[in-house]
Parts: sequence; structure tokens; C-alpha cells
Amino acid sequence: MSDNPYQDDHGNKDASITNLKGAGTMQPAHQKSGPTHKVDGGPFLIGDTMTGGYGKGPDILHDCTIAVDKGEIAVIVGPNGAGKSTAMKAVFGMLNVRSGTVRLDGEDITQLTPQDRVIKGMGFVPQTSNIFTSMTVEENLEMGAFIRTDDFRDTMEQVYDLFPILRDKRNQPAGELSGGQRQQVAVGRALMTKPKVLMLDEPTAGVSPIVMDELFDRIIEVARTGLPILMVEQNAKQALEIADKGYVLVQGRNAYTGTGKELLADPEVRKSFLGG
Amino acid sequence: MTDTMKHTLLFVFVGVMILLEGMTDVLFFSGSWNSALVILNMGLISAIMAIGVNIQWGFAGLFNVGIMGFTALGGLAVVLVSTPVIPEAWSSGGAGIVMALVMGALTVVAAVMITKFMPAGRLRALVLAVVMIAGFFVYRAIFDPSVSSVEAINPALQGNIGGLGLPVLLAWPAGGLLAAGAAWLIGKTALGLRSDYLAIATLGIAEIIIAVLKNEDWLSRGVKNVVGLPRPLPYEVDLQNDPSFVERAASWGLDPVTASTVYVKAGYALMFTVVLLALLWMAQMALKSPWGRMMRAIRDNETAAEAMGKDVTRRHLQIFVLGSAICGIAGAMMTTLDSQLTPGSYNPLRFTFLIWVMVIVGGSGNNFGAVLGGMLIWFFWIKVEPMGILLMELVTSGMAEGSALKAHLLESASHMRLFTMGLILLLVLRFSPRGLIPEK
Amino acid sequence: MDLLNALVALTNFVIVPGLAYGSQLALGALGVTLIYGILRFSNFAHGDTMAFGAMVTILVTWLFQSVGLSAGPLPTALLALPFGILGTIALALFTDKTVYRFYRQQKAKPVIFVMVSLGVMFIMNGLVRFIIGPGDQRFTDGERFVISARTFKKLTGLDEGLAIKTTEALTVVTAVIVVAVLFWFLNKTRTGKSMRAYSDNEDLALLSGINPERVVMYTWMIVAALATIAGVLYGLDKSFKPFTYFQLLLPIFASAIVGGLGNPLGAIAGGFIIAFSEVTITYAWKKVLTYGLPDSLAPDGLVQLLSTDYKFAVSFAILIVVLLFKPTGLFKGKAV
Repeated sequence: MSDNPYQDDHGNKDASITNLKGAGTMQPAHQKSGPTHKVDGGPFLIGDTMTGGYGKGPDILHDCTIAVDKGEIAVIVGPNGAGKSTAMKAVFGMLNVRSGTVRLDGEDITQLTPQDRVIKGMGFVPQTSNIFTSMTVEENLEMGAFIRTDDFRDTMEQVYDLFPILRDKRNQPAGELSGGQRQQVAVGRALMTKPKVLMLDEPTAGVSPIVMDELFDRIIEVARTGLPILMVEQNAKQALEIADKGYVLVQGRNAYTGTGKELLADPEVRKSFLGG
Repeated sequence: MTDTMKHTLLFVFVGVMILLEGMTDVLFFSGSWNSALVILNMGLISAIMAIGVNIQWGFAGLFNVGIMGFTALGGLAVVLVSTPVIPEAWSSGGAGIVMALVMGALTVVAAVMITKFMPAGRLRALVLAVVMIAGFFVYRAIFDPSVSSVEAINPALQGNIGGLGLPVLLAWPAGGLLAAGAAWLIGKTALGLRSDYLAIATLGIAEIIIAVLKNEDWLSRGVKNVVGLPRPLPYEVDLQNDPSFVERAASWGLDPVTASTVYVKAGYALMFTVVLLALLWMAQMALKSPWGRMMRAIRDNETAAEAMGKDVTRRHLQIFVLGSAICGIAGAMMTTLDSQLTPGSYNPLRFTFLIWVMVIVGGSGNNFGAVLGGMLIWFFWIKVEPMGILLMELVTSGMAEGSALKAHLLESASHMRLFTMGLILLLVLRFSPRGLIPEK
Repeated sequence: MDLLNALVALTNFVIVPGLAYGSQLALGALGVTLIYGILRFSNFAHGDTMAFGAMVTILVTWLFQSVGLSAGPLPTALLALPFGILGTIALALFTDKTVYRFYRQQKAKPVIFVMVSLGVMFIMNGLVRFIIGPGDQRFTDGERFVISARTFKKLTGLDEGLAIKTTEALTVVTAVIVVAVLFWFLNKTRTGKSMRAYSDNEDLALLSGINPERVVMYTWMIVAALATIAGVLYGLDKSFKPFTYFQLLLPIFASAIVGGLGNPLGAIAGGFIIAFSEVTITYAWKKVLTYGLPDSLAPDGLVQLLSTDYKFAVSFAILIVVLLFKPTGLFKGKAV
């Protein structure tokens, strides 16, 4: 039984009266945004010594620090259950950060809701359910640009230039695309806001190795435009190869930090996380 | 104040309300013991229905909006069990009707077999269509003449197949069985679908059952109603003609007419209380048994229960049948109390959704809550009308005599009933979402 | 000639009434499906919302009639319809603000919303009965027929007449316009697309900056308008009685589910499927068959498959058959 009596559905799953598909599962740390304030210096985006967990639950992150600077790709890797995705969600405001701060472009945004972080310039691509499956590719991109009041056709052209296959399939429902193409739609949707930083949660989960290589190529291409990218990856080796900065997390703590090359060269990291 | 005390007080409140109804005629009370007992009797029946629904919803999260249908089936059972046998009906058309129904059932079985065993394709669709259509026409060919010959027998009084002439009390369990059978059929179809569609299925079936009762005159005389059903208690007239009863009534200082009506109604109240207590006890036992614990485990986490090898659909079917059977029993009791079956009077607002109000207000998942909800809401259902009139008289007291608005308001006061039920439901859902007596 | 007569009889007794009833069901089912897709529950109060909308329209119609305002050959109710829609929108938004919004903030499960809608259903039902009474109300005026049976016979020289009531023609035309506007809105406008996005994936819609409260507000406004139009058309075509509207809930739900809950296209298809199966199965085919078949095969009885009182049974049987073969409905039940 749920603690909240309004959420007690007695296990009912009757499809003729309730629609559970596409219902929100997000549990943001704040329902309403708190104040922000200016801070000087530091990297472009940083989750600084964050400690916290979901709701009132136990702490999952312990003094964890993640940062990315302009023109960089930062990658978070680590074993299963290390809190990689959690760290990224903490930066995005989906986790109760009990101590530590999140700062973006010289502003402390720890108290903001995820929606307001999007408005501040964060582009977030969740790991699953990251596209509108019943809508066409083009509509997905339009929805990505929902908060923009200016003309976004240029941005859409840029996305199509970046992912040419999407231009061919622009009028097809996104749910009918292949796994790799869906991920391109998801990234494209996030790019439509013209974000200041792009956050990708396991963009290559569940796609074939060939598609994975292609996706990584695209991500590098995005980074070359100067957009900082923070990414969680299961495929540690490939990810670190393209990373300017790498974070190895273990049980919610920073275990190793360095450039991608350094980490790849570190025998400890190799032995423990990269399979020798 | 402890919870137990609070809950006891709630029951005491309902009791006092019913007592006041009998004792005093201030405010909206009528001061008639007859009226108090009428409320009590239907309250007890409502409580039983609420237990049936509570078992389904509270224990298993099944959303049944076809309570009306099961109640009506219980009523039908009373007709089929307790009315006298009509031999002519059986000799003229009864056999034909039974044969037609068997034919119909066979057609359905054949259709199910075909879908199960033949490979999918155009051929299967064709065979299926042929079997269904042929079956339908054969059914109608046997059915129609038999029905007209049955309906031709003494149509003013009978014109139906009659009953078994058994004691009416047997109709109560029979009503349960009939409802259980229907519930099994519905559950088998609706719960077995890939995602369950129980709500719409029950909503539809209930309407169909009522349509059948209204139209199949050979079965229960349709909208011509079956009146004068046998009853388990003596008739008031007989009591009034019984010298020893009159004498005893006089010794309590009651006139024979009042005494006889109160005596009969009190007798019903006693019988209903016995059934209610028995069902309540069984429901409580079931809830505490390993079976009940398993049901709740399934409810709270279906995936985990499934992973542990529990056959969730089967369990759901089981509990759906049980709950519906209880509604069937209550339906049979109600028809016995009215001693007539009037298919035209079944209305989903009163027989389905009002029961839901009772369950939610009482406390879903708690049997005592269901009983409380049943009695309390029934009391309001009856008394909201006089309360509404009282309120409207108060509201319009300042208005000019003969104003159209005043007349309209006074006239419409009786429609406040549905409005009030909705308001009570919304208030409870908002401020006490687990009901007055929440599940522990 | 006989074949022509059979065709005319078929059109007169099956196709025309089926089209009108189907349009009414489709409009009702669209409202149910929109709420299901976007607010994620089945709204049991929908039938009573239709009744409320029709009631407001009727009251305004009476007012217009009493001051002598009319729409010429068309029913006066058409002039009153905008007021009915506005009144129903006001009620829907008020209900949402006072009742439903609290549960959204609590992130209540859909089934709780279903129960809440039961409460709203009772209240609206009571309200309508309180204001206009439980009885039958007729408010149709204007020209009764577009073509009456007699004119048709005179025009064509056939034995069978074809009568098309103004209300039937009006129903179909209005339904076509309303559906076209709705689909244009959902597929072409920014707000419409945001509603579809919210229905498809609530979390992602939030992350895209779509305001859920706004989406919900627009949904209620559209649903209230649809319900009023459906209610008024039904009332014009048949008659207005609160209880009948409550009972329309079953065929409306059946239509929405047959088509695939949450799918507007499905709701329309479902409406017509249910309507036509009800009409064809409960229609006495004697007339059509007598014309259509050679004399030797002409039927003796009425050739009515089921009595009209079984129309609910028909909607329901269709529903079960569809669900057995296509568990998500004919048009895959998905986002709006």
C-alpha cells in the first residue's frame, strides 16, 4: 500500500477505465523553483560535492562532483549501480541534493525544477522514453522547441544536417524508427532548445555496435560546435576514447577522475572497469 | 480517542439515527417504527452488497460496475426457485426453450473450439461465420415457437415458465449461485484479455441482464413484473386475524395493524442480520487466512506475486466470482423483502454506483467499513429527501408566496438526493480518501 | 424497380438513422477518448456533461423562442448552442479547479480519478434534474424535414419514401465540421500538438517546457464543447431526458474502446460501428427483403434479429469480439 492514500489504486490495471501509458513517473526534487544566485568562476556546469537520494530515501550519492567545461565532452562511467545515471539526474534536479550545489554558467541552480533548468539552457536526453513515439520526427523536433518563441527553422535545419536520415523520415512517426534513429530524434529534440549544455543518459543503450560508433561520431560532431556534453555511458572504453574528461564512479563516490586518455592509461581503472 | 472507539461510535451514530427515526418526528425524522425498520432492512441488504463489492475492490482491486446485474440475477433466482410449478408451461414449450438454450450454448462452444483449434486464416473466419449464423437461426427456430406457447398460458397472471415451488429461503443461495455463474463467464472473458477490461464488461453485462429480464417474458414476465412472491414470514393480514397475536399485541399496547407490520419487518431484520453477520464473519476469516494474505500480496505487487508463481488471473477470477455471488444473495434477499420482481426499477445509479459510494465512504478494503458505509449511505439516501425539503423550506421562507422560483425550488427538493450522494463521495475522497474506517 | 425500392427502404430505415446516431456517438466518444488520452482516466461524468450542455442550450433556446428569435428553417437551438458550450466550459473548468486539480497535485492514480468522476457524475446528474427536472423535454423547431417521404415519392415515383429529417442532416454536417476542426487543431496547431505530446509522454512533455495545467485546461474546454454539441444533436434528433443521457455512457464507452481508447480516429470509427450494428441488428428487415428477394423467398416474419431493447447487448457483443481479436481496439489505442 502506498503511503499517499491518493496513490493507492489497489493494484487496479483495468485498461477500460485507466490509462497508464505515458503517465509521468518523474519525481523532481522541487515542485516549485527556489531562488538562484550568481557565483563566480568554476567550470561551465558543475555538480559540486553532491550528497543526496530520491525523495526521503537513503543517500545514493556521497560528495560526488561532476563537471563539464565549454567545448568538452565529459563522460561518467562505472560499474552497474554505481550511481552514474543518478549523478546526472542530480545535476538535472531529479534528486534531493541534501548538500552540495549545482552551478550553470555562473549561477547556482540547485533549487530549480527540471523544467526551469531546461529554460536555463540544459538539454537532457533521458535513457528511455525519450521521444514522442506517436508523433512524427518533425513534430518531435517542434515539441523540443516548445519554449522558444522565435523562429526555430534554422535550428531544425541544423539538426537535419547533423542527422540527415531524420530529414528523410521527417513525416514518419518516431515510434516506427529503428533504435539508433530514435536516439538521433531524442538528441535532436534536446538540441532544438539551443541548449548551453547537453546531457545524455546512456545514448547507446540497446543499439548495435555499428550504430553505436555512428552515434559517437555524431556526438563528437555536436561537441565540435562548442556545445559542452555530459554523458553517462555503459560502454566505458569507447566513451573514454572520445572524452576530454572522465569520471569513474563507484557506489556514488568519485573513484577516479582525469582526462579520457589518463583514465584509459591508468592500470587500476583498466583492471577494474575496462576488462584489462 | 482510539480508532476502535471512533469506529464503534460511527456504528452507534447510525444506530441512533435509525432509533430516532422510529421514536421522534422532529426535523426530518418520521417517528414511525415501520419506516425505521424499512430503512434498517434495506440498509442491511446494502451492507451485504457493499461487502461483496469491497471483497472485489478492497482485496483485489477489481473495479466492478455491474453490481446491478448481479443483484437482478439474485432477484430472478427468487422467481425461478420459489414460484409455483406451472406444468402446462413445461409441457408446451419449456422443453423447447431449454433445448434452444442448449443449442445456443453449443454454438458458442463450437465457435470457441473453432477459434482455438483451427489455424487462423480466411477459412477459419468463414467456418466461424457459418457456424455462428446457422447456430443463431436454429436457435431462433426452436426458441421462438416455444416461447410464444409458454407466453400464451394464462398471460394475465403467468405466461412464464414458472418456478420450482421450493421454499423461498433456498432462493438466497440460488441467487448467489446464479450471480456466480454469470460472474465466472464475464471474468473468464474480460480478465483473460491481454489487459483487463473488467469495468466496461461489467457495465455492459449489467445492462444486458436487465434487458433480458425486461424482454424475456417467458422467464420472469418482463416488465409485467412478478408480484406476490412467496415469503418466509407470515402475512400481516393473517397475523391480524390470529387472536393470540392480537392479544399479545394488545398486551404491548399496540394496535394489531401496527404490531403485525412491525413484527414482519422485525422478522426480516433479524434474518438479514443473521446473513450479514455470517457473511461478515466469513469475509473477515477469508481476509485473515493465507488465501486473504495472498490476495493482498497480489494486489500490492502483482509483478512480484506473478514471479512467485501465483496465477493472478485465476485468483482475480475467484474473488470476482465470490464477490458477485454475495451481491446475488443480497439481490435475492431484496426481492424477497419486496416480494416482487420489477425489472423496470433497476437503475445503475441506485444499484451500482450508490453501492460504490457506500464502499468508498465506508472504507475500501475494510469489511466493517463496507457495512458502515452500506447502512449510513442508505440512511442518507432515504432521508436526504425530507432533509432537502426542510432545507428548501428554510431557503424559500423569505420569498414571496407564489413566486415561480419558490415553487420550482420546493418541487425540485427531491432531486437533491443524487447531488448529495455525489457531494458526500467527493468530500470523503478529498478529506478521508481511505474511507471512514480505513483498511488496517 | 424493386431493387431501387429496397435500396431506398434500406437508406431510409438503416443508413440515415445509423449515420445520425453514429455521428452523435462519435462526438461523445471523442470526448471520452480525449480525457482518457490526456487526463488518463475514463470520465463517468461524460454522459451527464452532455446532459448539462444540452440543458443550458435548451434553456437558452426557450428564451430565444419566447422573444421570437429563430433561425428560420433551422432549429433555434443552433443559435443557443454557443451559449450552451460556454456554460459547459465554465462548469468543466470550475469542476477541474475545485475537484480534479487537487488530485493532479497529489499525483493520484488514474483509478482515483475514476472514482472522483463518479462523484462528479452524481452531482451533475442531480444538478440537471434539479434545474430542468427528470422528464422529457422537446426543443426542436424549424423545418422538420429536408426531404419528406411524400415529396420523395412524388419526385421519384417509387413506392418507398425516403425521409431525411433536418436534425439528421444537421447532425451529420455538424459532426463532419467539428471533427475536421478538431483534427486540424490537434495536428496543425502548437497547442494541439502539445496536447498530443503530453498524452504520449508526460515526462518528456514537461522537459520540453509544456505546461500540463494549460494542456488540461484546453482539454476540458474541447471536451465540454464536444459534449455539448453531441448532447444537443442527440436531443434535437431524439429528445432530451437526463436519464437517457446517463445511459448513453455505455454505447459511448463501447465506441471509444472498440476504436481504441485514446485514439480520436478510433473513436469516430467506433461510433459508427456501434451505431450501425445496433441499427442493423435491431431493424426489422422484412420490408427490404420483400423488395430485394424474389416472391418465393419473401420472409413471413419481421426478420428482426433482436428486439430493439437489446441494443446495449449489441454494442457490448461487438466490443467483446473486437477485444478478443484486437486487444487494443481497432485503431491501436495510443496517444491522442
